[in-house]
Formats: sequence, structure tokens, C-alpha cells
Amino acid sequence: MPVVYSLKNVVKSRLVEGAGFRLSIPSIEINAQENVALVGHSGCGKSTLLDMLALALHPDSAEHFSLTPKEDESYSIDTLWQKKKQNVLAKIRKQHIGYVLQQGGLLPYLTVRENIELPRKLMDMPEDDSTRSIARVMGIHRQLDKLPGLLSAGERQRVAFTRALSHRPTILLADEPTASLDPITARKIMAVVMELVKGLKITMITASHDWAHVYKMDLRSLHQEAEVVENGNVYQSTFRD
Amino acid sequence: MSQFSKIISLSFRDYSHEWRMSGCFVLALASVLAPMMILFGLKFGIVSSMITGLIENPGNREIRAVGSGRYEQAWFDEYAGRKEIAFIIPKTRSLAATIQLKSKSAGRIFSTELFATAENDPLLQTINVKPQGFYQVILSDSIANKLNIKKGDRLDGSLVRQFRGKRERVHIDLEVIDVAPASVIGRSVAFVSLDLLLATESFKDGRAVAELNWSGNASETDKRNYPSFRMYARSIVDVENLVNELEQEGINVKANLAEINTVQSIDRNLSIIFWIIACVGAVGFSFSLGASLWANVDRKRKDLSILRLVGFQGGKIILFPVLQSMYTGMLGWLLAVLIYLVAEQTINQLLAPSLEIDQIICYLLPQHFFWALGLTMFVASTAAILGGIRASRIEPSDGLRDI
Repeated sequence: MPVVYSLKNVVKSRLVEGAGFRLSIPSIEINAQENVALVGHSGCGKSTLLDMLALALHPDSAEHFSLTPKEDESYSIDTLWQKKKQNVLAKIRKQHIGYVLQQGGLLPYLTVRENIELPRKLMDMPEDDSTRSIARVMGIHRQLDKLPGLLSAGERQRVAFTRALSHRPTILLADEPTASLDPITARKIMAVVMELVKGLKITMITASHDWAHVYKMDLRSLHQEAEVVENGNVYQSTFRD
Repeated sequence: MSQFSKIISLSFRDYSHEWRMSGCFVLALASVLAPMMILFGLKFGIVSSMITGLIENPGNREIRAVGSGRYEQAWFDEYAGRKEIAFIIPKTRSLAATIQLKSKSAGRIFSTELFATAENDPLLQTINVKPQGFYQVILSDSIANKLNIKKGDRLDGSLVRQFRGKRERVHIDLEVIDVAPASVIGRSVAFVSLDLLLATESFKDGRAVAELNWSGNASETDKRNYPSFRMYARSIVDVENLVNELEQEGINVKANLAEINTVQSIDRNLSIIFWIIACVGAVGFSFSLGASLWANVDRKRKDLSILRLVGFQGGKIILFPVLQSMYTGMLGWLLAVLIYLVAEQTINQLLAPSLEIDQIICYLLPQHFFWALGLTMFVASTAAILGGIRASRIEPSDGLRDI
């Protein structure tokens, strides 16, 4: 399988409540159609890494950061960030990435259907039955005309997954998508998602702090190691295979 | 559908979805704009009508000759043709310009001053008809009351002279074509055509007036001279120059220069005061509106981050808060106009009993409403564009974790 993400010596630093935090990725490669879990405790930088993979956050430095969503389509992401090509990055995001946030990230003023169809409309994809098909698989086909505020937490996450998949992306990123759900609902949703991801041949990267969950889903895990460096001033989090 | 039209649609959907918050922004805007409009309405109503009244008062534009002179028709023609002169007409000697008036409904005969009048007479600007020929007259309110007479009535005018040792009286049947309001002139005056005024003078001087079958000496063959004039400048700003010019000609004249200077000074000072209030109000309004819209852009960062995450470009994202500010600006302006119109009607009706007829204490011209709209939209869009540019520079990930 071709490599979709290739990162080498990517670093992102920030201040967290006055203390230094550094996320370091010495070397990661993620292959097409692979299902990967970023595993670590809260605040270890999983979301930061996902945001960088979603091209929504620029790294401070990167020796190499490439994205190859299709065999004939490859981008040097670090170069695009350096050249401040925000619109190109937005276009790549729009075409190839679906992102599920921890709380869903649904727009409250649009109905479930409109939320799901937003990425499709943005890509000028024709209206067809695919929205309803995915919604049926996700079990939310009866909620399509409701506003997100009227849904349960589990239903909102199902909608978020459906929106992330509606435009047939090659990559699905999910930031602890089931963290706010009860274990039974979480298992049900992830089972359906895994099936869809497999069927649609999508590369999935999900963040989780639950080792047992990752183990059960048989995901490749990128685990986190922590150390305090620079005389105790900086907390450094490193993700490795 | 382009990203542009999608942003228009999304911004409106969000705006209407958050109708309570949008309503608060609209109310906040209207609560600042409406009082400003009422203030300006009062400025234009009270001050403008007061200043205009003072400026338009013909008494302040009148230039009166002091003493008697000899003015030929050519002199009148020359001055009548000048753009700074609104009206000029000859006057005859005071003693010759009086007539005795008698009506059937009054028991007495009243001696009344005669003023020649014609089209464009500033004293009679509210009266459309003017006396023509020898038999029509407009009475001042004072003499009309004394004679107990009204428009359309007829009265008897008579003139008396000593001619060849005998006392003679002639009568003329006059039609009252209108009565001038008391505000025009307080004295007992009859406005007549120049022909009748000259005929009166001719009769009193012992000359014949063939048109009225009044006998006497043959009429003068020389060009007629007039001893005085009734002159009005077109504007109060022309009075001083005309006075100086006439005095250079050797004509001694009098005008209300002190009053004119007072009026002009009031006009200048009040204009300065109101422009200061206007500028302070406009600046305060701009800051108030700008701050609330700026805060709104900050509040929208989360939604804007989601839109950027799904692929909207930064430049298009700016439109989202800008359009919402436009909606607020337009609706806030509409509400402010409604509030203003209600206030205008209330103020004018409440104070109507203490105002003169047709006087309005609070009003705005149509262009003032559009200036208010223009200012509102300019401030709204400027504040939103500045906030929007800031929002577009924020990384898409910035607001995501809060959702």
C-alpha cells in the first residue's frame, strides 16, 4: 500500500498554562487504507497531531511532511505552510480529509441533512442518494430534518461521522469521537464506522486514550512517550510506532 | 453554487437561527441610532425653522429710504433687474398715499395707508392673487377687522382734495380680493396696484385721472419721478452690500443690519454647536457599533473554524461576519427609523398647540435617512471587515476544541 502520510522530525511547541509543551514526531509513515490510533493520556498532544494531519495547524518545523491522498497526487505540506498557501491547504482538506471532532463540531443552524451535505456542496458534488445511504447505515436517517441541538450525544457523533464521510474522502481523522459516549454506544458507533471505512477503502486515524478499546478494534497504534527536557521547563511528548 | 453564494446562505441561516442574539445586536444599534436621529430631527425642526423664519422674514430684508428723493422709472428698472434684489416698487408721498375706507358693516370711515404691490411682493408671498387695475385691494388684517370685512366683500374708498378753492371728494368701489395675515404687517394698510396709487397721488395733486373720470388739471407730460421706494433684498446676506451701494449713490437708507448680524451669528453658532454634537454622536455611534460587531466576530470564531476545516477559503470566510454585520446594520437602521417616526409624530402632536400653523418642531429630510443608512453600513462593514480579516488569519484549528 502506498504511503499517505510521511512525517519526519516534525515539531510543534506551545505554551500550556504558562508551561512549555513540545510535540515531537521523529518519524511516522501511514499507509493508504490503514487504520491507526494515536494513543495517550489527555493533554499529550493527540489532538495537536491530528490537527496537523488535518492541515489545520502548521508545524513549527518539519524536515519532511508529505501527504499523498492518491497515487498520482502528492503534496509537500511543510512547503505549503512555509509559503502560506492557505487556500491550497483548504482545497486539499476539502477534497481528501474528513474530520470528526470530539464534540461533533456540527453547525447548530443547519439541519442534520444540511450539515452532512455541506462538504459535498462545497465540492459541487451532485445530489444523489448517498447521503441517505450513509445516514441509514449510521442509523440517523430518521433525524435528517432535525437541528443538531435536538439530537443525543451519540446521534450527534453519528452525524459527525456521516458528514466526514459524505464527500468520499481518502482520509478520515477522528479526535476521540466516542469519548463523551457510554461504552455500549461507543462500541456500536465505532463498529459501524470501521465497517464503512473498510468498505470505502479509507485511511482512518483516530485519537484515543483507551488502550483496551484500541486493542479490541485491532488498530495500529502510535503510542506516546513523555519526558521533561530543558531543565524541567518543557514537557516533550513524542509519538512513535 | 460558488463559495460566495454558500457563505451568503450560511451567514443568513446562522443569523436567523440566533435570532435572539441578532435581535439584541439590532436593538443595541437602534438604541444608539434612534436618539441621534431624534436629536437631528429636533435640530432641523426647531433650529432650521427658527433660522429659516428669521432669514425669510421680509422685514429683515427690507431696505427703507430715509427722506424723500427723485427716482425715475429707469432707476427702478435697473434695480429690478439685479439678481440680489427680490422686489422693488415705487412709493408716493405719504400724505398722497392715504385713502378713506368705509364698509357697510362698520359705522366709521378709516383713513388707511396705501402700498403699491405687484407679483413677487415679499410681504404678500402667501397670497396668490395680486390687485389688478383700479378696483381691487388686499387689506391688512388690522384694517379688515376694523371694517369688519372679509375676502370677496366690497367697500367704498374715497379721496378728498382742495382744488381751486373748493373741497372735492371722489369715490371708488373696491373689491377686497384677500386679507393679508396679521404677521405680514400690523398697521392699517391697503395693498393696491401701482396704477391706483399713482391715480390717488394725481388726484390729490389736482390732476385729472381719465381712467376714473376724475377731473382736474392736465396730466404731467414730463417723465414721472417717485419720492421713495419699497425695496427687498433676495437674502439677508445681500442687504449690507446694497445699503453701502445706495449710500454711495447718495441715497440715505436704513435696514435692520444689527438684527441681520444677530440672526447670522445665531445661525453660525447654533450650526457649530449642532455639528459638534453631530460629530461626537457619530464617533460614539461608530465606536459602539464597531465594538459590538467586533465582539460578534470573536464569538463566531468557532463556527468560522468549522467552515475553514471543511474547506472554505480564508478570503471567503471574511464575508461571513461582514454579511451578518450588514444584516444588523440594515435591520437596526430600519428599527431606528421606525422609532424616530413614532417619536417625530408624538413630539409634533404634543407640541402642536403651542406652535404656529404649519410649524413643525421635529422633522428630517429623506436624504437624512439615507445618510444615516450610509453611515451605519460604512461603520458596520468596516468593523466587520477588520474583525473578519483577523478571523481569516486564525488557523483553522484555533476554535475547534471549543465545539
